[in-house]
Amino acid sequence: MQSLGFAFVLEPVLRKLYPEKAEYESRLALHREYFNTQPYLASFILGASARLEQDRASGREATADVSGLKAALMAPLGALGDSFFWGALKPLSAVVAVAALVGGGWWAPFLYLILYNVWHVGLRACMLFWGFQSAGDPVALMNRYSFTKMARLFKAITLSVVGGILGMSFLWRPELMAFCFPGILTALAGLGLALILAAVLRWGGSPVKIMLGLAVACLALAYSGVV
Amino acid sequence: MFLFDMHTLSQVVLVAVAGGIIGLDRTAAGQFMFSQPIVAGPFTGWMLGDATAGFVIGAVLELVWVLDMPVGNFVPADSTISAVSATAIAALAGPGGAPLDLIGFCLLLTTGMVPATMMIDNIVRKRNSRLADMAVASPGEDAGRRLARAHLSGLKAFFLKSFVLYLVFLPAGLAAAFLFARMPEQFHRAMSLFVKLLPLLGVAMILRRLSMKMFDRLFLSGFVIAVIAGQLFHIHALFIILLTAAAGWLGVMHRAR
Repeated sequence: MQSLGFAFVLEPVLRKLYPEKAEYESRLALHREYFNTQPYLASFILGASARLEQDRASGREATADVSGLKAALMAPLGALGDSFFWGALKPLSAVVAVAALVGGGWWAPFLYLILYNVWHVGLRACMLFWGFQSAGDPVALMNRYSFTKMARLFKAITLSVVGGILGMSFLWRPELMAFCFPGILTALAGLGLALILAAVLRWGGSPVKIMLGLAVACLALAYSGVV
Repeated sequence: MFLFDMHTLSQVVLVAVAGGIIGLDRTAAGQFMFSQPIVAGPFTGWMLGDATAGFVIGAVLELVWVLDMPVGNFVPADSTISAVSATAIAALAGPGGAPLDLIGFCLLLTTGMVPATMMIDNIVRKRNSRLADMAVASPGEDAGRRLARAHLSGLKAFFLKSFVLYLVFLPAGLAAAFLFARMPEQFHRAMSLFVKLLPLLGVAMILRRLSMKMFDRLFLSGFVIAVIAGQLFHIHALFIILLTAAAGWLGVMHRAR
């Protein structure tokens, strides 16, 4: 599916670079080949491919291997992007927004969109130009953006904010308060239960199974008269 | 009775259209995260006049699903359909503000729907993966136009998938909510407890995924800072978040030294 999107975005560039129909079609067909990477970092490969196509069309580098470049970059950039965007930026934006929401902030969804998209849109745009400028040089990319370092930092902040969400559980919206103890006891009870659940999660199981298991446990508690 | 009058049916169609458009943001177009539960839930709630249900469902599902990542060929659960459906069923079945037990029941219902949405998502993706072959132009046809048509047909398939699923799930969910109102008192109490325990489960899931340790230092320091700042100094929640974020950042800096 990504190959089609890639070719779709590159199509206007190819149409401009290759006025001769046969060559334009053969280049377009080339970009329909298998392509799969992290969708945001695809911008870097897109910029680099546009640059190589330009060099090829102008005769500056007639043997430019665009397919080879795409094949070489898509796996490492996929791993890097998954770890940074899905594994670090998204959870961080989400937990900050959830913390704001449980604390009563109706604007939390907007905060989430701003926090996430400042990075996402900014990096996506920069990547396109940087890919074009560097002609897809991954070393230049790594020197410019230390995704691994940023991912580590974001994950650490996420953990700290998640701890904070539990710690301020006595300030949560009343609908979400699991315990009605005074102040700090609510937080401690929440921490205890979250740690027990984390220990249970070590046995594995998909989120769906775990949620259904929790529902069964709630039913058991209700029918046994505990709650 | 709330079930299936003209007003409810028009609301169901409205949610299906809006949900279908929001669902495109998951993978097909943009990925600006409008489709995440914390945005899609409150948006649906605002649209149907029950923002609180949207906030609760959005926050809970966001914590639970945030680290379910689309890595490699793995197709994660469609948390957008869960959030939009749960909020819409709660808002339509509980006019004037859905009670907590109904919200819990809607969350349970949409959790049960997840395997079905994943299966249908896989079918649509498989169909879309064949679009590259469909994009090959026949002689005399403009290759660019053919490609654009194939590309847009992929978007259409994703939209239709969500649209049809909402049209099936929402009436079914409303019928289930109608039956839920007649369930014994214990069931209602269990659903209230379920919704209150889900945020703790979400926190546990994030802790489990991001840290190998049960007693992670950063997690515990965030907890202690929030307790002290909130309980002793009565600091506003927003500043507590900033303090805990700063603590995480300092923790990394300290480790790096």
